[in-house]
Amino acid sequence: MEAFLVPLTAALAVSIPALATGWAQSRIGPAISASLAEKPELSTTAILLVAIPETMAILGFVVAVLIMLRAGG
Amino acid sequence: MILPMIRARILGPREDLDAVIGAVQDVGLLQLSEVHPSGALRPVEPDARDAREARHLRALLRDVDVLAARFAPSPSPSKAPAPAAFATWLRQFRRVRRDVERLEAKRRALEEERTETARLLEFIRAFRGLLPSGGGTRTHGYHLVLRGQDASVVARLREGLAQAIGNEFVLETAPLSSGELAAVLLVPPTDAPRVERLLAQAGVHELPMPAGSGGKTLGQLGPGLAARRDALDAELATLERERAALSAEVGANLGGARAAAEDRLLGLAAREKAAATSRSFVLEGWIPAAGFPRLTQTIADRFGPRVVVESVAREDWQGESAPVVLTNPRLFRPFETITRMVPLPAYGTIDPTPFVAVFFPMFFGLILGDIGYGLVLAIMALWLRHGGAPGSTRRAVAEVLGAAAAFSVAFGIVFGEFFGDLGLRWFGMRPLLLDREHSLLSFLALAVAIGAVHIILGLALGVYNASRGHPRQAVGKGASLVMVLLIIVVLLAALEVLPRGFMTPAVVGLLVLFPVLILAEGIIAPIEFLSTLSNILSYARIMALGTASVMMAVVANELAGSIGSVLVGVLFALLFHLVNFALGIFAPTIHGLRLHYVEFFGKFHSPGGQAYRPFSHWRPSGSAG
Repeated sequence: MEAFLVPLTAALAVSIPALATGWAQSRIGPAISASLAEKPELSTTAILLVAIPETMAILGFVVAVLIMLRAGG
Repeated sequence: MILPMIRARILGPREDLDAVIGAVQDVGLLQLSEVHPSGALRPVEPDARDAREARHLRALLRDVDVLAARFAPSPSPSKAPAPAAFATWLRQFRRVRRDVERLEAKRRALEEERTETARLLEFIRAFRGLLPSGGGTRTHGYHLVLRGQDASVVARLREGLAQAIGNEFVLETAPLSSGELAAVLLVPPTDAPRVERLLAQAGVHELPMPAGSGGKTLGQLGPGLAARRDALDAELATLERERAALSAEVGANLGGARAAAEDRLLGLAAREKAAATSRSFVLEGWIPAAGFPRLTQTIADRFGPRVVVESVAREDWQGESAPVVLTNPRLFRPFETITRMVPLPAYGTIDPTPFVAVFFPMFFGLILGDIGYGLVLAIMALWLRHGGAPGSTRRAVAEVLGAAAAFSVAFGIVFGEFFGDLGLRWFGMRPLLLDREHSLLSFLALAVAIGAVHIILGLALGVYNASRGHPRQAVGKGASLVMVLLIIVVLLAALEVLPRGFMTPAVVGLLVLFPVLILAEGIIAPIEFLSTLSNILSYARIMALGTASVMMAVVANELAGSIGSVLVGVLFALLFHLVNFALGIFAPTIHGLRLHYVEFFGKFHSPGGQAYRPFSHWRPSGSAG
């Protein structure tokens, strides 16, 4: 049972934050693109705003790695 | 660092104002600022003469723009010529502009006629012998031009004609060089009205006859049209010679005229920054401390004791309003590009460029961490640097990439990676200190430790910034800094890296500092402190991205051996490495920038600095200096 649950948990730990990141970026992307059309000087802010939600996916990945390592996978 | 500035004040008799402005412009170091009126001191308003001169100069620049777009102007001189010729230039450019616009209108008309004539001649050549001579009334002829050379157009026309008038017609076609289809249609005169209706319905137009053809047929016009085409060629050549003469007349003056006019307009605008009484004037502005003696000397040399230059005491001006000039050693200078991507730091605070120059390529190297990818990046950086002018953004980006490539190679040696595990497979290369592929926890610990160092450094810089004018804030930031250090001690003691005995004093220290933090920075401080801790965890991305990078490279190498055909396997592997390399440039750049702008700068950066724009002679945009 554990052999099945550990990888599943690790997969959920990375996939749910990744989906959340994707959703957040899908909302930020069009909004910041519209802003850039009017104010190109916001390009640095644009990069940052799009990169900020990636933290969720990255930390999800770290947690997944920890789950696998703690379980001896 | 941020260059120290001096607020300079220049005082002198009012009649010397224009000459002093000229001298300041020659020095080119003073950024003029408004002088606050007080007592009899009033801003210098532009008089009617100045307004008229500015109007004429702007008209002159409009004419220069129009002419420069048509002729190849001479390059603008490095120093504007004397403006004595403004009136002459204005008259000359206005006349030449009128002449050139007249020539262009005439040339457009002649070229249009030349195109039509050439088409008619081509038509005549294509249907020589078929064209109606006009002598008889046995047939009625139409000269048609069909869009496109699709044969189905002709078939449809032929079918329509057969239905309308039977088979009593002749339709011949030939392709034209313009891509259209020329057609001659001969029908009995009695069928002409029905044919014309049909052609109108189908949207087929007859070839327009030249003006003044006097009812002659196309066949009769042939020799006259050939002569007219030759005459048009001659007229066009004459127009081109006239245009070249106009270009030669003004082309050499355009660059100089623009420089002089722009320069004079800058002088007029500078005059409005001054304040004056009925007898004297005051000019104020910012100048780098190192340039102040040069300004003083120049004014003293030209005006003697009549005009005085003094520095305003530091207490009398607010540091925040001074312009900011970043100045860094040659090695760090390219990284100013990264600092300038966010608002400049306020005057009197810390320039983060040296820290960016150390940490940005380090983060990049930790994430990419591969000798092979690092070398490819170095080649790209060299190519980019080769094409960039000194001081250009391209050159700066190339040098930043060069540093990132050097760190990537260095960490590649540490991690023992050459295009993933290819180094191990080919040369038996082993990691020097850390195997990223297998020691994930060690890599995570390293990433978070580097994050802790980066954030602690940011907090220390924040304490330094706040200590100059905001002591309460400095105490709050200092408390945060010590608390972060104490939490690290507690964690290390819990993990038995440090002796257990460290834990109790560290926890007591945290309990003592917590109220200090709230007293110094308010009730929101604990939340900000928690966000500081999460900022440290954010550096885990270095490990996550680095691991993803090495795993992708390993998968690429395994692909080469796992596909039946060696050639296809190698191609797949190359493609995979290419994708990984593209991600390997993009991800470290974006996340390196983010770690700096969000996590690091957030601890100390005080934006609000204004760029330094000294009052100097006009230079074409894009020119150095």
